[in-house]
Amino acid sequence: MQSDPRVQQALAALDRPIAEFRALLEGALRQAELFLAEQQADEPARVARAAATLGQFGAARIDATRFAALQPGASRADKTSLDALRRALDVLHQMHARGDGLFVAEVVEGAKLGAVVESALSFIGWAFGAIIVTDLVRGGRYVPAEHESLLDPLGFGGWSRSERRAAPPVIVRVAGHAVRATDLASYADGHVKLVLIVDGACAPAPLARLITPGTFVLQTTDGAGLDRVARFDGPAFAAVLPPGAATFVHDPVLGREPWQRLTVTHIPEAPKKAIGAMSTWQMLEELKQLADLARTPFVVPAAGGAGAPAMGASDAADRIASWLLAQSGLGGTT
Amino acid sequence: MTITCGLLPVLEPEEQDHSYEMSDYEGARARWCPGCGDHSILAAVQKLLAAEQLPPERTMFVSGIGCSSRFPHYLKTYGFHGIHGRALPVATGIKLNRPDLDIFVVMGDGDCTSIGAGHWIHALRYNLDIVVMLLDNGIYGLTKNQTSPTTPQGHPSNTQPHGSWLPSLNPLSTALGVTNASFVAQTAEWVPAHLYATLRAARRHKGLSFVRILQRCPVYSSAVYMKAVQDPNRIALLVHDDGVVVPELEKVYKNVVAHDPHDLAAARRVADNMDHVHLGVLFADPSRPRYEDLRRVAPRTAEERLTLLEAELDRYAV
Amino acid sequence: MPMLTDTVEAPTGAASRVRPTVLKKREHTVEIVSDSGEGAQRCGQIFGAVSAKMGNGVWTVEIIPAEIQPPARIPEGASGYRIRVGTGPVTNWGDATNLALAFNEQVLLARHRLNALADDAILLVEDKWATHEDADIRAAWVAAMEELSTRHYRIIPVPMEVECLRLVDNPRKGKNMFALGMLARIYGRDTDRIKDQIAFTFRKKSEDVYKTNVELFERGFAWAEHNVDVRIDVAPQQSADALVVMNGNEAIALGAIASGMDLCAMYPITPATSVSHLLSEVFEKFGGIVHQAEDEIAACGVAIGASYAGKVAFTVTSGPGLALKTEFLGAAIMTEIPLVLVDVQRGGPSTGLPTKVEQSDLWAALYASPGDAPHIVIAPATIEECFHVMVTARRLAETFRTVVMVLSDANLATGMTPFKRPAPDAAWQAAPLDLSAVPEGTKAYQWDAQTGLSRRILPGQANGMYTLTTLSHDEGSKVAYSSGVHQRSSAARSRKLAVLQSLLSPPPVYGEASGDLLVVGWGSTKGAIEEAVDRLRADGLKVSSLHLRFLSPMEPGLKPIFQKFKKVVTVELNYSDEVGDPYVTDENRRRGQLAWLLRASTLVDVDCWTRVPGEPLRPGSIVDAIKDRMPKGGAK
Ligand SMILES: Cc1ncc(C[n+]2csc(CCOP(=O)(O)OP(=O)(O)O)c2C)c(N)n1
Ligand code: SF4
Ligand SMILES: [Mg+2]
Repeated sequence: MQSDPRVQQALAALDRPIAEFRALLEGALRQAELFLAEQQADEPARVARAAATLGQFGAARIDATRFAALQPGASRADKTSLDALRRALDVLHQMHARGDGLFVAEVVEGAKLGAVVESALSFIGWAFGAIIVTDLVRGGRYVPAEHESLLDPLGFGGWSRSERRAAPPVIVRVAGHAVRATDLASYADGHVKLVLIVDGACAPAPLARLITPGTFVLQTTDGAGLDRVARFDGPAFAAVLPPGAATFVHDPVLGREPWQRLTVTHIPEAPKKAIGAMSTWQMLEELKQLADLARTPFVVPAAGGAGAPAMGASDAADRIASWLLAQSGLGGTT
Repeated sequence: MTITCGLLPVLEPEEQDHSYEMSDYEGARARWCPGCGDHSILAAVQKLLAAEQLPPERTMFVSGIGCSSRFPHYLKTYGFHGIHGRALPVATGIKLNRPDLDIFVVMGDGDCTSIGAGHWIHALRYNLDIVVMLLDNGIYGLTKNQTSPTTPQGHPSNTQPHGSWLPSLNPLSTALGVTNASFVAQTAEWVPAHLYATLRAARRHKGLSFVRILQRCPVYSSAVYMKAVQDPNRIALLVHDDGVVVPELEKVYKNVVAHDPHDLAAARRVADNMDHVHLGVLFADPSRPRYEDLRRVAPRTAEERLTLLEAELDRYAV
Repeated sequence: MPMLTDTVEAPTGAASRVRPTVLKKREHTVEIVSDSGEGAQRCGQIFGAVSAKMGNGVWTVEIIPAEIQPPARIPEGASGYRIRVGTGPVTNWGDATNLALAFNEQVLLARHRLNALADDAILLVEDKWATHEDADIRAAWVAAMEELSTRHYRIIPVPMEVECLRLVDNPRKGKNMFALGMLARIYGRDTDRIKDQIAFTFRKKSEDVYKTNVELFERGFAWAEHNVDVRIDVAPQQSADALVVMNGNEAIALGAIASGMDLCAMYPITPATSVSHLLSEVFEKFGGIVHQAEDEIAACGVAIGASYAGKVAFTVTSGPGLALKTEFLGAAIMTEIPLVLVDVQRGGPSTGLPTKVEQSDLWAALYASPGDAPHIVIAPATIEECFHVMVTARRLAETFRTVVMVLSDANLATGMTPFKRPAPDAAWQAAPLDLSAVPEGTKAYQWDAQTGLSRRILPGQANGMYTLTTLSHDEGSKVAYSSGVHQRSSAARSRKLAVLQSLLSPPPVYGEASGDLLVVGWGSTKGAIEEAVDRLRADGLKVSSLHLRFLSPMEPGLKPIFQKFKKVVTVELNYSDEVGDPYVTDENRRRGQLAWLLRASTLVDVDCWTRVPGEPLRPGSIVDAIKDRMPKGGAK
């Protein structure tokens, strides 16, 4: 599944946030391993490690034993805590071993998109718990009764604000008929970024329902714009859809009004037949929603002028909106 | 990547239900003179921090040297009380590394527009996502009454006792002249509602928000803003939904000007217009590129770096 | 005039060849000089790199004109590359050039006037100027030959342009490859390796460019084969170790990466800038960035801000930039923010000699800040050390929470030499900080009563919130108004240097541990000093040397070492008054910068021999100076 070129493209576009999460895992892993090593270490091992950190230039001139003595030693942990630490390390190693697989999921026939996303995220959520356990143990603050549950997978509902902000992107391969955007709405928080790679017949604007003022939403057929998903400082949804689908970008930083934020580049005809659970009316509704949001309001010179869009901008946006309506055959229905 | 500060938020999780009170942000007791405008700026900032629920440990105040630069000491957040004129490079270094922190820079007029003027111009161009407050009392306060670039022409000081020789520097038109500046506003410390609303707009803007705060120094420059304080007709409020609107102020301040902050040419006209003291957002464009976004790179683990380094050394292999 | 008359003029490809005399040498110094922009440096770089790859010891020096685009054919415009090749390791640029290849006689004259050419040097020179249509040029040629004839040089005219024109329209672009071909033939260089190197050099250009360059190279090779009657054989010696060849700035850049640093904040200044050139090309893939700030002050501030917030940062500059950074350095020392600053020294004061080597920033580095601002100063002595010093500098900055200055110089920065390929270790990149929770009540600086060391707290850590201040402060970072606090906090900052010094071992002595005269040096002069000591000892003089890496804190055990010699003399590349100069007395004599420090710290009457020639020291000059300073009654 990772060999799908669109998945590869998405992984490449999302390289930075993925690398950031990976560095986070790695950082926690290294600190925990070092702590564990210190628990068992004898003096020579400690000194050798200190000498190694000094590099060749320093090691040749600096007394490693005395240098090591300057480093704050690790505190001693009891057996229960060390067991917990080992289990936490286990979790982190498992994550690490998955490589890119940690960030890619697939909705197999019969499965539900929402459930697949939830399970991918709760696996990732496990990492947060494990990281916190490593820190608690190192700080001598681990209390089994209180903290044991941190070592279980953690559903998204239980993630803290900061964990939601540290979330890595997840790329999901899904068949067109299984795309149900409403299943995703509850993940719009923190820095959660979900990218759907869609195969087969699909509703033309499935993500239109996810457009809310602070969420970045992208529909693309060729992967263009995925790099903006990576850069956006907030939650984002994107779908790489089969050719012919509606394409648009909703970028919250571009303004206060929906029409300032939404750029629609293509609206197709509404499909004539139901797709999966989506009726033709539902699909048409999504297209209309898109056109509605993109439409520039009429310029009413309000008292004092406050709130009115700048003339030039509104002209251009108006033209796009009417063109869109003409393209989609929706002109008469609104 | 040798240290993943990204870990910190995970290790120090913010609880979903925790809420901060204004008192959570109180630091040492402020030691400015009684009646100093800096007190009211501190109050507005504390109110803003609580309203925006910024976690104190992830909020930073960076300053230079001056009365105004004492600001960070009076807050219970992280603070960097650095050297005269150089707050902006420090803030740049912090933000480049730690986009997760909310950074506020506090500078005096000498700090920002004189000794630190070079950094000021370039910081506006870098357009990092930080709030930059210029506490402009038109004088050097800490060093006891010397002329600053913003001292009005003719205003006497210890270094120019017959009055400042030159016309004062206009920080607003200077800032608006800098390529890639993305937010320029002016407010006054004696109009707390406006001060608060402006700081909130600045904090919510993505990019460097430069706010000149007119600040009274009753000890050395009380004359500078006297007229504007006493006569509300000297003030004009700039209003716009993308700027600040404080309807209750319009009862006192009758000059209300609709000003679209997307219009740079209009912003420059307002900045140069001396008929009134304009308060509000002169310019805002959140789409301008931000340096920390442009320069953000994927961190690499120690192992990845080792592999890459071997490849690099291969280029020099004998 | 000892002009070469016995050259056989044979058209290229003809069967006739000269039978060359083969001179076997343990080392030989070759240089190629031209007007600026004619590519002599590129030719020299390829020659140096290939010689290193073949297993020769190599040390290269750039010959740089003062102006970017000086007028053609003037002595001041000489631009080029000097390569000292040896059978064993070569540690410095040596004394004089044995073979020079010049694109015109004026640049050759410049080298002659600088005493850069050995008395019996072989000089190959483009001869088109002798018959130039411009009578002034012809006259200049004649005058130059006249001046050159005052020495025993052997001059070989070469029709470079005529030969190149057979292959290309613009001989200005291409002569350097023809020259490379000649040198390859004369020195028996491996032509396949040279072609590889040409391919690497022109990797960003088209295939045609590569082909033309190779044709020019081969033509030069053939021309020398037919016309030059001398070959020089400096046998290579395969090293058992894997080697790399690079210059000191490249070594600093790669060392910074190896050390785990990930921010380089800088402002362009010669000769430091090329560190950032290499980093700008590769750093991002390592997760690092180069920030080119608006000036050196800002560069230092950005590095300090980043370091404070948990990144491992450094800044790199040269003298004038160091001057600008001083206020921020004091701030970093006062607030105990780790920072690595690399100063690639050039000639000073002020703008000074931007491209030339000097070691006159030692005091500026030590006393960089007003007030008492203790910090660490280290100086790598070789290009290899430029790489490894970065790892140590980073670790010391973080362990001791202070500024570490690394003093390199233009000689290391632009010289190129092979050295043992570093074996990077993940431990070098180990995290500087423990991110575990800060216990409630932790102070900003919990100075250990013995060592002055304390834990760093990072923004983002709950319980750590404090306002760092550059004002004098107590453990809690509270501005210190009460007397006693400044004394105590100053002691905590100062103690750290005593602690570091207690970890150092006394430096080894090169040569015998006792004798008549001990030469003390620091930085890039190590190779030249030790070569001079070898020659002096071969002459039967009881001379040894000692080379310092740590200048603050000063390395321990110096006084007992000094006391085993009748005389101690520093050799440095900075200015000092000479005894006997007008008005100069023993009392008012301004001594070399290291000499001054050693006198203060050991109370030994340390003498000095220092020069500011705008070029590296020559071992021969050191030999002469030391002979001059041998204590009376010493063995001779
Ligand atoms: C390099 C340097 N130069 C000069 C000073 C002295 N100094 C401290 S604050 C200051 C000016 C303060 O004026 P301003 O920036 O307007 O701040 P205010 O006190 O008015 O708030 C000066 C000149 C210094 N601390 N450092
Ligand atoms: S001198 Fe002026 S600016 Fe400074 S604290 Fe007093 S009133 Fe405020
Ligand atoms: Mg002031």
